[in-house]
Formats: sequence, C-alpha cells, structure tokens
Amino acid sequence: MSESPKSGAGSDALLAADQELVPEAKSYSANQIVLRRFLRHRGAIAAMVVMAVVIVVAFSSIGVGAIPGWWDKDITTAYDKIGTGAPTWEHPFGQDTIGKDYFALTMRGTQISLFIAFGVGIISTLIGTLIGAIAGYFRGIVDSLLMRLTDVVIIIPLLAIAAVLARMSEGDLNLLILALGVLVWTSLARLVRGEVLSLRERDFVMAARAVGTSPGRIIVRHILPNTVGVITVSATLTIATAILLETSLSFLGFGVQAPDVSLGSLISDYQGAFLSRPWLFWWPGLMILAIALSVNFIGDGLRDAFDPRQTSTKE
Amino acid sequence: MTTLDISTSGATETAGDAVLSFEGLTVTFRTQFGEVHAVKGIDLDVRPGEVVALVGESGSGKSVTSTTALGLLPGNARVSGTVRVGGQVVGSLDKAGLRRLRGNDVAMVFQEPMTALNPVLTIGDQLTEGLQLHGIAYGKEAEARAAELLRMVGIPEPERRLKQYPHELSGGQRQRVVIAMAISCDPTVIIADEPTTALDVTVQAEILDLLRSLTEKLDTAILLITHNMGVVADMADRVAVMFKGDLVETGTVDQVLNHPRHEYTKRLLAAVPHLGEGPGQFGDVTPPEPVPGEAAALDLRNLVIEYHRIGRPAFRAVDDVTFHVDPGEIVGLVGESGSGKSTIAKCALGLIPSRSGSVSILGQDFRNTRGRRLKELRKRIGVVFQDPAASLNPRFPIGDLIAEPLVVHQVGDARSRREKVMELLDAVELPPAVYNRYPHELSGGQRQRVSIARALTLEPELLVADEPTSALDVSVQASVLKMFTSLQERYRFACLFVSHDLAVIDLLAHRVVVMQNGEIVEQGAREEVLRNPREDYTKRLLAAAPVPDPGEQRRRREARHALLTSLGEESAELHL
Amino acid sequence: MFLFILRRTLASVVVLLLSSVLMFWLTVNSGDPLADLRGSNADNAQQLMDARVATMNLDLPWYERYWMWLDGVAGCFTGSCDFGVNRSGQDVLFLTGLAAQSTLRLVTAATLIAIVVGVALGILTAIRQYSGFDYGVTFAAFLFFSLPVFWAAVLLKEFGAIRFNDWIAGGQLGPVTILLLAAVIAVALPAVLGGTTRRKVVTGGATFAFVVVVLFLFNLLDWYRNPISGPFTALVAAGGAAVLVTAVVAGIRNRRALYAALTTAVVGVIAYAVLAFTPLLADPSWLGLFGLFVVAIAVSLVIGRLWGGYNKKQVMLVTGVTGALTSLIVVADILIGYWARFLGLKSRPISTIGAQTPNFTGDFWERLIDYGTQLILPTALLALVSIATHSRFTRSSMLEVLNQDYVRTARAKGLSEREVVVKHAFRNSLIPITTIVAFDFAALIGGAVITETVFGWQGMGQLFITGLRQVDPAPVMAFFLVTGTAVVVMNLLADLAYASLDPRIRR
Repeated sequence: MSESPKSGAGSDALLAADQELVPEAKSYSANQIVLRRFLRHRGAIAAMVVMAVVIVVAFSSIGVGAIPGWWDKDITTAYDKIGTGAPTWEHPFGQDTIGKDYFALTMRGTQISLFIAFGVGIISTLIGTLIGAIAGYFRGIVDSLLMRLTDVVIIIPLLAIAAVLARMSEGDLNLLILALGVLVWTSLARLVRGEVLSLRERDFVMAARAVGTSPGRIIVRHILPNTVGVITVSATLTIATAILLETSLSFLGFGVQAPDVSLGSLISDYQGAFLSRPWLFWWPGLMILAIALSVNFIGDGLRDAFDPRQTSTKE
Repeated sequence: MTTLDISTSGATETAGDAVLSFEGLTVTFRTQFGEVHAVKGIDLDVRPGEVVALVGESGSGKSVTSTTALGLLPGNARVSGTVRVGGQVVGSLDKAGLRRLRGNDVAMVFQEPMTALNPVLTIGDQLTEGLQLHGIAYGKEAEARAAELLRMVGIPEPERRLKQYPHELSGGQRQRVVIAMAISCDPTVIIADEPTTALDVTVQAEILDLLRSLTEKLDTAILLITHNMGVVADMADRVAVMFKGDLVETGTVDQVLNHPRHEYTKRLLAAVPHLGEGPGQFGDVTPPEPVPGEAAALDLRNLVIEYHRIGRPAFRAVDDVTFHVDPGEIVGLVGESGSGKSTIAKCALGLIPSRSGSVSILGQDFRNTRGRRLKELRKRIGVVFQDPAASLNPRFPIGDLIAEPLVVHQVGDARSRREKVMELLDAVELPPAVYNRYPHELSGGQRQRVSIARALTLEPELLVADEPTSALDVSVQASVLKMFTSLQERYRFACLFVSHDLAVIDLLAHRVVVMQNGEIVEQGAREEVLRNPREDYTKRLLAAAPVPDPGEQRRRREARHALLTSLGEESAELHL
Repeated sequence: MFLFILRRTLASVVVLLLSSVLMFWLTVNSGDPLADLRGSNADNAQQLMDARVATMNLDLPWYERYWMWLDGVAGCFTGSCDFGVNRSGQDVLFLTGLAAQSTLRLVTAATLIAIVVGVALGILTAIRQYSGFDYGVTFAAFLFFSLPVFWAAVLLKEFGAIRFNDWIAGGQLGPVTILLLAAVIAVALPAVLGGTTRRKVVTGGATFAFVVVVLFLFNLLDWYRNPISGPFTALVAAGGAAVLVTAVVAGIRNRRALYAALTTAVVGVIAYAVLAFTPLLADPSWLGLFGLFVVAIAVSLVIGRLWGGYNKKQVMLVTGVTGALTSLIVVADILIGYWARFLGLKSRPISTIGAQTPNFTGDFWERLIDYGTQLILPTALLALVSIATHSRFTRSSMLEVLNQDYVRTARAKGLSEREVVVKHAFRNSLIPITTIVAFDFAALIGGAVITETVFGWQGMGQLFITGLRQVDPAPVMAFFLVTGTAVVVMNLLADLAYASLDPRIRR
C-alpha cells in the first residue's frame, strides 16, 4: 500500500500551517521538538522536580561512601530514644525500635533503591534494545530464536524467576541488579522488534541499503535513533517496575539483605509496626510511592512528547 | 447528460434551487501553531443532478469546505457563514437534526476505500445500518434492499457479499460498497472526496462511470473534491478552483478548463502532463537518444521473484520478466497496483532476492557480487522513492542526508563533501539555507528534491526512480519533472522510471515496459507502445487515463466504451 | 484457523518445556538445600542430612533429577500424575491441589474484575478525553501502578478489615461521613455523564441530595447490619439494570429492546420469588446454581427473540445481558438476606488472614458469604494494578480507533455517538486489548504471590516461597507448572478472542 495524502478533516489545515512555517521560522531538530512538547506536560515537569529533589536530598544528606553529607546522624548508631521514637525535630522521621535515626535509614534505603532501579533500567534497556533490534532487523531464523527465548523468560511469572535469581545473588547488590536486569528486558525487546520490523521497510532504510550502508551502520545510525521514543519511555517504566520489584523481593526476604537497607526491606522489617510505630511504615512507603509515581509521570510526558498523536494533556 | 447547457445559467446562480450551498463560509482551526484560516469566505452552489468539481492542491481547504456540509469538523474548528443542505441551515441544527441530515440528505464518499469500511462488521451490517437508522427499511426488507444496492453499483453475487467482511473485497469493490452506502438513503447530494485517488486508473474509470450514472438516473447532485484535472474534465458540469482557502475561479467545465481566467488556474492547468503530447510539454529539451553498444545499465533476464508466506504457497510477484535499460536511457515501467513494478525496482537495487533469472547492473551480475565489489557496484546506482516524507531519515539534517552516501563510501573529506552537497542543492534548485534544516521543516516538493539530490550524490550511472512524483501536487510534480529532465541531460544517467501515470511516462521515457500481474504485457519504444498499442491491456490502460480537456475526454470516454464493448465487457453504470 | 491455534499451542508447549528446564536448573542452583542442617548442633544432624539427600535425590546430577520430575509430570497424560515429594516427603500433587484452588480463585476473580472495570473506565475516559474525570482516572491509574503491593495491603487490612469490623458492630454512618460520601459521588457522577456546566451543577446537586437522604434512611433502618432484601428490592435493581443495558446497547428510544429487557427482568424476579421456597435456591449446590444460570440465559434469549422484530440480534444481546445481570442481582439479594444471620455467626466479618474462616459452619449461602468476604480485600488489591493497566491501554486503543476513517464513515451515516462507540469503535478497540490481558495475567500471578503472603492464604505463592527458601525444586516446579499452564491457556483464550473479534485473521 502506498501512503496517499489523507484528506481527513483538519489535515488540510495542518498542511497549510506546515508550508507556511518553512521559510523563516527558527529551525528545530526532532529532539528539540520533543523537548518542547515534554516541557509543556505539567505533570511530567512536576514529577521531574520531585524526582530531582528526592535524588539530591537522598545523596547529599547522608553522603555517599566516604563522602560525608550535611545530615549529622548516621545509619548505624543507636541514639538515645526520645519518647516512643516518634518524629521530633531531632529525628524528623522518628527513630526505630533501638533508636537509630530513621531519616538517615530512609535516605540510605532511597539511595539503594534508586541505585537498583537505575542499574536495572540501564542493563535491561541495553539487553532489550540489542535483542529487539537484531531480531527485527535480521528476521527469519534469528528472529524466531530470539523471540522464543523471550517467550521462555516471559512465561515464568516475573516475580518468581526474580526471586530465584535474587536468592542466588545472596545479598550481593551488584549481582542483584544484574539478576533483575537480565529479566525485565522482555517487553522492551518486543517493542523494539516491532518498531524495527516496521522501520526496516521504510523507504529511508531502503535507500540506505541501496547505497551500500552496512547493517551495523543502518541499525545504529538510521533505525535506533528513530526508536528512541519507544526505548526512552520503556526505560522509564522499567525503572518504576524495578523499584517495585525490589520492594516485593525484599518483602519476601530475597532482596537486599541486612545490614544494608532498601526502601523495600525497611517496610518489610516494620510492617508489623503499623499500629505501634506508624512512622516506620509510612516514610519508606511514601518514598517509594513518590519515586514510582514521578517515574510514571515522566514516562507519560515522554510518551506524549515522542508520539503527539494521543496526548493525555490538552494542547 | 447536460454538460454544456448549464453554462448559460451559470452566470445567474440563485441559492433557491440549490441542494447544497455555501455562503460566506469561513473555517479557522486552532492549532499549536496558532490560528489557521483553512477556508476564507467562499460561496458555492450545487444544484440537483449537477456535478460540481471543487479543485485545488493539498492545503487549499477543499476537504474542509465539504466536511462542513455534514457538520463533521473536529472540535478545534470554528465555522462561520451559512451552509444549506436542501432547505436546512446546517449550523442551526441540533445534534439529532444533524444526524437526520447525514446520510439522509447528504452522503459522503471518502478517498480511501481500504479504511472507510469497518473491518469487523459485515458489508451487510454496514449497509442495512443506515437504512434502519433513517427508517427506510427494516430486517429482511433492509437486507433485500442492501443486496439490491450492491447489484445497482455492479457488485456480482450481492447476497453472498452481504455476509462478507471488507477485507475479502478488492479496493474497487470496496469503493462500490461505499458508494452503495452513500446512495442507500437516496440523498439529494453526495460529497465525493477524492473518490478515485487511491484507485488504479482502470478502476477509477469504472467508478467515475458509476458516479456519472447516479446523476443521470437518480438526479443526485455531486460535489466532487479532486486534485486531478482529468477527473474534472471527465465528470464535472461546473468547476470551482480553490487556492489557499479562497475560491479563485468558478465556471462551467469548458470555461475553466479550456479558457481559464485566473492566473492560478492557468498555472495549474499548464502543470498537468498531457497524455499523448509526448516529451517537451514543459518547454524542455528532449533528452538525446542513447548510444547502443556499451554494456546495458540494467539487464533483467527471465527474472522471477517470489514472496514467502508462512503456511501458504509462495506468492509469485514477478514472473519471467526480461528487459534492459541502456546507458543514458530512460525506461518507463508502467502498471497498476499488484503488477510487480515496484518489486522489480527493489530487486534491481538488490534489496530483495530473486527466485531465478539474472539481474546484471552495468555488466556485473548482482547475484554473484559480494562484499567490497558489491559496495563498489552500489556506488554506481542511485534511488528515489515515492513518498518523500518516508524516504528521508527524520533525524538527519538535510546536509547530512545528502552527504550520507559520501560518508558510507568514504569519498572526500568534510569540506569537499560540503561543497558537493552545496553543488547538488543548487542543481535541485534548493536554497543553501536548507543545509541545516530537518526534513519535517520542508514541503513535499522540497523533500523530493532532497531525495533526488541524495540519489545523485555519487553521480550514479543508473538511477532507479519508484513513483518519484505520485505523492506530489500537480504543480510541484511539474517542476520536479522539469528539474529531473534537465538533471538527466546534465548527468546522463540511465533510469528505470516506475510509474502508474502514463502521462508522466509519456513525458520522460524513451522506452516503455507495460506490466500486469507480474508479467510483461508489452514493451517497446514510447511512440510505439503509447500511440499504437498492440495488446488489449495496454489499450485499456491508455483508454482509461483521463485527459484535462472536457471535449477530448468525452471522445476518449466514448472510445473506451466502444473498446470495452469490442472486448465483450460492459461499462460500469447504475443498474436500476 | 484451527491450524493456527494448533501451531500456537505446540509452540507454547515447547516454550513451557524449555522454561521448565531453566526454572529447575535455577532453583537447584539457588542455594544449599542442606544449609539449615549444616549449622545444626543436633546429634543426629548427619543422619538427617543423609535422609534428606535420599528424599531429594541430591546425590544425582540436576538433569537426572529434572528427568525424574518430567517423567512424573508426563504421567498426567496417562492418568498417573506425580509431582514428586517435597523436602519433608509430602506429596506435592496433593499440596498443589489444595493451593491451586484458592490461588486460581483469587487470580480469576481479579482478572475478571480488572477486565470489566478497566475496559469500562478506559472507554469512559476516552470518550470524556481531557475532562476532569479523565484526569482523575489517569492520576488514580498512575497511583496504582506506583503502589508497592504489600504496603497497600497493610493499609487495606487496617482500613478495609479492622476498622470496618469495628464500624459494622455499630453500623451507623456519622453525619460527616455521609456528607463526604455524598459530595464525592456528586462530583464524580456528573463528571462521567458530561454535558454543559449547568447540567453538571444540576445533576451534582440532585445527586448530593439523593445520596444524603438515602444514607440517612439507611442509618434509620439499621440497613448495614440488617439490610432489607426480597423480590421487591430485586425487582427495582433488575429493572434499573434492564434500563441501563438497553440505554447502552440499543438506545433508550428503542422501545422493543426496552420492553424486552424489562420483561426479562420481571420474569427473572418472578422466578426468584417462586424458587426461593424450593431447595433449588434455599439449599443449593454449585451445579444446581450453574444450571439455573444457564436456564436463565436461555430464557432471556428466547424473550429477546420473541420481542426481537427486525433486529433480533441486538435485542437478544440486550436481554441476554439483562438476564445475566438479573441472575447476579438475585444472588446478591439472597446474600443480602443472609447478611444479618452471617453477622450473628461471625461478628467481625472480614478477617485479615486466610482464604476462609477455619471451623466455620453454616449453610451454602453463609459459607458463600464467608468465601466472599475473605476474597474481597485480596482481590481488590490484586485487581487495582490490572485495572490501572487495562484502563490506560483501553483508553489509548479507543482514542486510536475513534480517529479511524471508518468511524468518520459511521458518523457521516448519521449514527449517534452511542452507536458509533458501541457498534463501531468498541469491538475494534478490544482487539489489541486481548493481547494485553494475556500478558497481564502472568504479572497478576506474580502479584498473587505477594497478596497471598500478606493475607496468609495457603496458596501457590506459599508453596513457591517455602520451596525456594528450602531450595526444594518439587514445590517450586509445581508452582511453575500451574502458573505456566495458566499463562499458556490464557494466551490461547486471548488468541481465540482475537480471532473472534477480528475477521481478518479468521480463515
């Protein structure tokens, strides 16, 4: 089927606008246009701000590794308990059962959770993009094999296989990230494959092939840049998935192991404290909610920006 | 049919007897780029039994105008002025009134029959729905009426068709179904929005015959939206020309097409390639005849191409095709959709493998060439595709797009590449300022110039052009074709020019190859094939192509009907 | 078509087999099955170790153990299933039977609810794009995506169970609660219905007044502890359902459809009034109830056919749906009737632990209420995330379809918005959703593991977690087998649904 100009209502008008824009208007690349659209999505901007605040506070307050932060309490010392350990000016998030500063603990948990989320996001995006692009571009037997491999992973409930791998990582954070990263790429791989399958039939790829461009250059220079929308959006959502997955694993006891803490392990440790010490339950939970919600909103903003056919906010 | 009598009454139009009238119609859209004035205060009447053609290029506002008659514009549109259908003012109707109007008084035939029908409902469902809605017939009676309608528009075995889904019908048949739907409630006026643009030329002729018989037999008025002057000449009683939201000229078809007054109309008509007038229509020099003797630029022998399908036998898209293109020669490859012409072009570019037969480019067999030698060979071939929007990578600026082949083949350094690009931009008549622009910032015609520039970057000896102008407006097409001929003269490349448009082929090609269903029907010098065709299919193809002159087109139509009769077929018309 | 399904199924079985190898290998290598005994100071530790090595065949390489497991499972095709034994030597098949029942009940209920609610919300938000309702649902959907499941579960236990139980002891709504509830409904309802601002204000005001009056009346009647039920209330509810179904499917102006639907409702309620005194409804069995349901649908379709006129298909659809809803209303009505007695048997009706109340004795209906109250919270929790997914997906699919040319064709024919959405857009928008539902099912099972743990159900999740903690492959593989098969079956259903919705892929 050839693509014939649509005569749909309104497309005429847009065409007119398109032609009038040509001569003297300022030049924007595709990325700049995406950025402009993204900046118009109020929810996503608010989410970016929340996310930035969370990241800055989490890393600057208690510091990272040997670098100290501005918060004067640490995560290992048991301080004198003030009353029941409920939030005070001294301990704004309260204290845990033995008097540890809960703000410091929550910040440490946030660091670890963010670390896991972004690590998993990066690894799975790399794997998913690679597998999807190769399957989609080369098709045939390569495609069949890779897609069956994807099915093999998909058919096992994610949480179950994640639990098994997490148990194998035995509390090693890097192994845990790797384990989760090699699991959650499946949906991205399918999406990228679909995109590549349709892009490789597009005329500009045909033109590149006809000139004698090598498959590697076609994939890297011509196809992948055009799937960047799908990849970015999916990567964002993977981060949300990863943070919730880590939480669930910690709850089941297969996630981050003591003495280290993540937001998930904090809630898991104190779920029984809901009635007696509610702050131990609320802070990490709200933190997860804030991060996951921000990430989801950013993902939505990106989707609107990359694919403006269906914006969720009015122009 | 009363084509020319109307010219007398054309001057004294009154809104009273019109079935559809626009008075001072203005439409503005609020878009993210600000307000867009799509229609700027136009007046137009359509009377019973009359075909009024609304002509213009993309962006002229012709579709928007027609859509106001049904009140179907999207929410960001503001309409002022009066639109009357019968006695009713469309703008003053409430929702229920509008719904009674739609289908009942004014019906619509859309451009794209492939998408205009709901894929999950049967033809019968979609036909009876309108009948029951407007209280014309119910149940069994409605079904009988639906079958009757299908028979009227010339669909065989209507009872069986009612139970089928749209995907089981061909494009032409679907458009017949859409027309059957449009006439089902006996509307006083039908708006046909580019009803034949998506169809092959022989199917187009049939659909036009069918529409014409509607006005003759049912006295239905038709507002025909089109960009094709041949269709106008074939169908219209009166013509209204739109340009950027304004109506620049109205009159009888003879007045407008044969004696245009407005500058734009003249320009538009001058841009239409005229089948039968051969090369040089736009004042260009005829390209010199090729010198035989060298190795052919492209030589196809007994080429067979098959597409593999899972669980079904392979589909043979090209069957035993043999022809060649000499150096410096333009060969026109003509055929309708599904004829395999684009498949051959892709195979000649080495993009799809052949099943058997040989493809040799500049004396080298494509199938036996690998690695570095293949890359060297590809350097000598250029390509231009149909859709300029799809054939340019949206993420590259124009400069990079044109320089890409140089980069791939590691020719020159950054500076010499830039110089080469500038030279090419000049050759395709684009300003140097587009160097840093992105494809989406250019118009369709500008993009296609970029495509052509890219194809010529490596100064290829063979250019494969797959419908390079069919996505363009006619005036843009004219300038691109003009440029193309002068480029060919300058660079002397051989060219395989694929097109469905005989008039364009007539303009450019030295030799013509006609294809049907994957096989070659006829090939030879242009003069021979296009003036004295031997095969019935070629004759039919030529007869079906409309020309933008009402008198000549009428003769051609009658000649076509005579040809069909001699071939033992009937021409399409409404069977009452 | 048949070949297509067959090929897909065979491919799935191969995938399932490969996955099982992967899962087995991973589980076996996930830790040391003897870890607890190695650290033990017991005198007979060595003896216990030897015993465990013997039970679990730890002396064999993993592939031989896998083969033994596979051999046992393959026996299911010849009628002698063997899922192996767990670490303590219990028959895993027996454990699986018990666990699968409650898990599948949970997952099926959640899936059904998620599809119905999610798709409905998605369509409503698509039709009311850019409205306050749309933004509200969008935000809620994102919120549910972002909730850590067990964190929400703790909240749900607190507010949905413990505080509810406290409240039901008195069963009176406070005036503030009433006003708040009424205000929420009065804002939400007009947002869904749409229309001009004036209309919204009027609808909102009327709704507010109505809800306040009804809730105060409920307080006076002690309705929450002692609700009124019986054929009359059922008739009102069924009549309402009949009108609603007609309005959505055929349009309220279609008198034939309306009368047919009302007839169905009346016939259904009369049948209820009569049958209530027979054992069929007074002391039923599952089979009997299912039989009654089938009969009810059949009768409804006949009513539709008789009233049908020229458009039998549509009217039969209306009566069929009305019949199904009436049946549900009747069951609900009976359950409401038993509520007071149930409260007498169990004063804190919603417990936070277990799939059913231990040692609960009651007749069929009382046990059903017990199952129901235990199922509500975990199901709601599990369904929330899926509802969010489905509603977002349906919304975008619906918007896509509403932009299609054939929708414009339908509008150009003069069809009303309702007909355009119900007849032309709805079915097309469902096509891509079938795939998502199948995908989501696997995620739902993962969620069920968490939910079961939080609510203390002895389900598949429990089997899996214990098995994994003990590096005991048999229960883990049983979990995998049940969930994997469920996913494959779900995919198959999705393929069938796809084929029935889209004539283009039927052959």
